[in-house]
Amino acid sequence: MLRYAARRLAAAVPVVLGVAVVTFLLLRLIPGDPARAVLGIHASPQQVAQLRRQLGLDEPIYQQLWSFLVGLAHGNTGTSIYYKVPVSSLIWAALPVTASLVAVSAVFCVVITVPLATLAAARQDRPADHAVRVFSLVGLGMPSFFFGIILIIVFAVDLHWFSVGGWGTTFAEHLRSLVLPGLTAAIAIAPVLIRSLRVGMLEVIESDFVAAARAKGLRGPRVLLAHVARNALIPTVTLLGISIAYLIGSTVVIERVFDLNGLGNLMLNAIGVRDFPVVQGVTIVYAIAVVLINLLTDLTAAQLDPRVRLR
Amino acid sequence: MAGQPGTDESRPAARPPGFGRRGPGLTRRDLLWRSAAGAGLLAAGPVLAACGSGSATPSASASTAGTPKRGGTLNFGRQTGPTQLDPANSIVEGDVYTLDKIFEPLYITNPAGQLVPWLAQGHTVSTDGKTWTFALRPGVKFSDGKPVTADDVVFSIQRAGSDPNGPLNFLDFAISSLKADGTSSVVATLSQPWAPFLSDISVFANAILPKDFGGQSASAFFASPVGTGPFTLQSFVKGGNVSLVRNPHYWQAGKPYLDAVDFVYISDDNQRVLQLKSGQVQVISTVPPTQVSALKADSSVVLEEFPSWAVDLLFFNEKVPQFADRNVRRAINYALNVPAISQATTYGTAKPGGSFFPPSLQYYQDVPTLSYNLSAAKAELAKSKYPHGFSFSLLVSSGNSQYVAAATIIQQQLKPLGITVTLNELDDAAFHTAFEAFNYQAMINGATNDISDPDEMASFQVDVKGGGSHSFWTYYDNPSAIDLVHQAETEFDDAKRAALYGQIQAIVAQDAPYIALDYPPNIYAWSPQLHGFAVNPGGAYRLEDVWLG
Repeated sequence: MLRYAARRLAAAVPVVLGVAVVTFLLLRLIPGDPARAVLGIHASPQQVAQLRRQLGLDEPIYQQLWSFLVGLAHGNTGTSIYYKVPVSSLIWAALPVTASLVAVSAVFCVVITVPLATLAAARQDRPADHAVRVFSLVGLGMPSFFFGIILIIVFAVDLHWFSVGGWGTTFAEHLRSLVLPGLTAAIAIAPVLIRSLRVGMLEVIESDFVAAARAKGLRGPRVLLAHVARNALIPTVTLLGISIAYLIGSTVVIERVFDLNGLGNLMLNAIGVRDFPVVQGVTIVYAIAVVLINLLTDLTAAQLDPRVRLR
Repeated sequence: MAGQPGTDESRPAARPPGFGRRGPGLTRRDLLWRSAAGAGLLAAGPVLAACGSGSATPSASASTAGTPKRGGTLNFGRQTGPTQLDPANSIVEGDVYTLDKIFEPLYITNPAGQLVPWLAQGHTVSTDGKTWTFALRPGVKFSDGKPVTADDVVFSIQRAGSDPNGPLNFLDFAISSLKADGTSSVVATLSQPWAPFLSDISVFANAILPKDFGGQSASAFFASPVGTGPFTLQSFVKGGNVSLVRNPHYWQAGKPYLDAVDFVYISDDNQRVLQLKSGQVQVISTVPPTQVSALKADSSVVLEEFPSWAVDLLFFNEKVPQFADRNVRRAINYALNVPAISQATTYGTAKPGGSFFPPSLQYYQDVPTLSYNLSAAKAELAKSKYPHGFSFSLLVSSGNSQYVAAATIIQQQLKPLGITVTLNELDDAAFHTAFEAFNYQAMINGATNDISDPDEMASFQVDVKGGGSHSFWTYYDNPSAIDLVHQAETEFDDAKRAALYGQIQAIVAQDAPYIALDYPPNIYAWSPQLHGFAVNPGGAYRLEDVWLG
């Protein structure tokens, strides 16, 4: 398995490189000049040209791309044009926020999905099942920024249980400020997982070994959890992995709504001022995160299902 | 004046700043939403130039109700976080309205738009208008306890004027020499008589720092800056939150009242409003116009629309043959129902446009404009080379919902003339690149005056050669208007200057090189426990008089 992981990680290098190159080129295709953005409206054409030289923006694109890739190979993501600090320092400041948000959302996903899907499968076509399905549809249909604002108004502005937004300074404040955004993100993703797990469980319930377990005299809940859920979980874990990768993208909106200064907000601001190095840096972090999560998902699925052999 | 878009709560990304420089966050112009109600207040106009030496006790802030209480930390929610604190290199909201709590200039503009002596106690001007002598206020100390001397003033202003990347360095162009006369007096010799000089001196870029940064490097100095302001820097996350604490050496005895100020970076409009309502912050900037009526009705919040030196306009590129035709521009002006556009797109928060000068700006005059009259519009178009109409493309910044809405209404209102408008929406960075390269036919954009004197706006929008922007990227060229702008620059008599600027505004209103749509105010909201808060028309607020009840 270690060899498998090492090979997968090696295969990630061209993926990340590809993302870096495509991002680099796309950024230069769209109109908008970072030098103008920095200098402002009163800048003379000479001033702009001077700054472009200073930033290396007057070099041919292939040369800029080469310097960027060489820097990257040395672990150097460059200096922010707007903030004038190393991109890595901006990313390290924002990464914990986004990573915690994703982690909390993933926990909420599991906490919501497993009981609801189990309930729905156990009570197939009965009111509880219908209720869970309606909940899934509502969760799926409601835009997360809207749901987020509703949560803020009810639980932060009216009840004062949580903060409206921001990140706080202590660990307890961080946790408290992650509850509502985590829940918002989870509600957007859980419906898919609930449906997948429910269908999976219904299929497993039909299978012979469940009948055998029941015949053996095992009670309903134990059959459901130890035999049905365990086997139905495997496709859902894969789906959860994909969802978390998707979640990384959707944190951009959620960070905005909940005023969390994570990678998503950092990237949005950087796009607004054409701060190329920052956009490139954050995109690479996203690419690496997605590759890693997919790898972890595969490894977890292999652990859960002995039939899967990783080569 | 800057091309910059207004407030938009729907826009996810940060927005470019105001006058000039763009960066994450709002434009300073966004701060500059101004109120109709406040306009009358400012009619008194700034005290300008040649006023001799005075020693009025400074009071930058509005009167406060009750007895001020000392202590407490103010949490202030703003749309942008500062990226740096160098006065000479700043232009965006987050930078400027942080550093102006740490550094102060010789004069400042108070909330009524008047210049008041600040680190100077007064000044005299020679009869030829070229020699200005500033007497420094005695007893002013930097936050490290060292006294402010004339050498510090000379160093600071020379540095601001000579910084090649200084966004407002042009404001110091008239200075030919600046010398210390003893320790408490500074003499500025100008290359020409220059009436706006006092106003130029009052800009935040000309704030006073210790000479040679007190022996440090510039970067070390601005990492832990030393100034004369009511607060000093405690901590600072680039682009994020800033904490300021009281300057124990502040020159106004007993002030500031607050122990500390935390500027909290909250980019999302909704978040700012909700954090105010929940009590996480006590005051917020840049309230979205859509939420103004709801907040006004909310007794737990105080909302005020402060008049600003900002105006939103429809600009025409006169390199486009149709727009080089004066009759076409006049026809369009007549065809637009400006009050209706202003009401619909700013939710009634902004006063409808008339003169290209905002009413809060000194020497504003309510000149006759080509107000809505469809038959006059048709008559003007009939006189033009395009009597049956034509098509043009209207450039707007897609992130600015107010401008996009205005563009859509303009599109409808020009249909009766046979003029077909297509909208060209670009994201803000692309928008700036396009219009600054004259790569547009018509556009909606905002202009802001940075100082109390209207010369900046007049020369930027009228002086096609000397103003720096080819009349705000329109190529509008009216020699008699340009001549009046230059006359006003060297005229020291207040009544005569007023008459000159009145003529300029009247000419522009008839030529219609651009059409003022509205005058947006600076909208702030705060908790009733906050007292003494006021914003000047430039968008600046001082906090030494603010206290928490």
